[in-house]
Amino acid sequence: MTRLAAIRALLALLDREPVLSNLGRTTYDLFSAGDRPENFYMWGAMGSVSAVGLGLALARPDLTVVVLEGDGSLLMSLGTLATIAACRPPNLVLIVCDNRSYETTGGQPTHTSASAHLASLGRGAGLPAVEEVDTLDRFTAAVRRSLREKGPWMIVAAVEPSASPARVPRRPVFLKDRFMAALGSAP
Amino acid sequence: MDGWASSLYQALKASGIGMVAYVPDEVTDPLLRLVQEDPALAVVPVTREEEGVAVLAGGYLGGVRGALVLQSSGLGNSLNALSGLCLAYQIPLLLVVSERGRLGEFNPAQVPLGRALPRILEALGIQAFWAEDGDRLGRLVERAAALAFASCLPVAVVLTPTLTGGKVLR
Repeated sequence: MTRLAAIRALLALLDREPVLSNLGRTTYDLFSAGDRPENFYMWGAMGSVSAVGLGLALARPDLTVVVLEGDGSLLMSLGTLATIAACRPPNLVLIVCDNRSYETTGGQPTHTSASAHLASLGRGAGLPAVEEVDTLDRFTAAVRRSLREKGPWMIVAAVEPSASPARVPRRPVFLKDRFMAALGSAP
Repeated sequence: MDGWASSLYQALKASGIGMVAYVPDEVTDPLLRLVQEDPALAVVPVTREEEGVAVLAGGYLGGVRGALVLQSSGLGNSLNALSGLCLAYQIPLLLVVSERGRLGEFNPAQVPLGRALPRILEALGIQAFWAEDGDRLGRLVERAAALAFASCLPVAVVLTPTLTGGKVLR
């Protein structure tokens, strides 16, 4: 499964749930799969998107918050898995698109291409619901379940690279304002 | 009960802060105890200060105002999130920084970052206000928070050892 196909399948299952995407190719794929005001695109702060999703999930228990994380980015901030497990937001769905590489910077291998196993790290951090999927059918089934059953969820999806030609607006303040307006949380 | 901690807690509440992230610290422990006892606050112990910046950014996206309680050394851990998230997206938060590496410091490893802190903040354009006087602390914090959330930018209040007593070698 390509990451783009997985994200398309995800969006098909969503209504107005917010989706936050890791910087780089994950963000480009989310934009290509379907730009919507409920998408929050990261342009910087690598390693932060899961924590941003955690904060949003805690602030807005009325919403199911979906995070599209990457393996390289998650490896940069493994402590966040422990923080999510400690806070246990039932409304957080963390999807890790594991392509075993730093695709945005040229495809250099990450440690998941060697021996690191993200699902084990999630379980070891104390996350209660961790699934590993490697086909589109199993990905769709796992997402469906995560939207229905209490989390926090971690879905590790083995994906192939997908080079979206997307041109995501490089206007962080606009993206933030649009996102907050869509969530009804604009100050 | 440390008087400064109570003043600071009251000021956070008066400023509409609804989420507090922190990395534990002996100096700010009296404040963190008050925060943890408040069921109206979302309190997030984070593994690293950068993670705290990101958690509070997420909180703000959800309409909740945040404060991060950290040591000045931890500010060094959070620079990319402050820059690439808070400054780039104009996401405000209040940084409550317990100052290390300055007056009365016993640990030489704390000195380089403590010494550089004012210039690091200045280089990022993050306004910072040093608190030395417990009687004026509450007003200072409320005004710093007002500035942060009006400007949509991070603003720091630095708690000096003169105010808190600082960290003591045991």
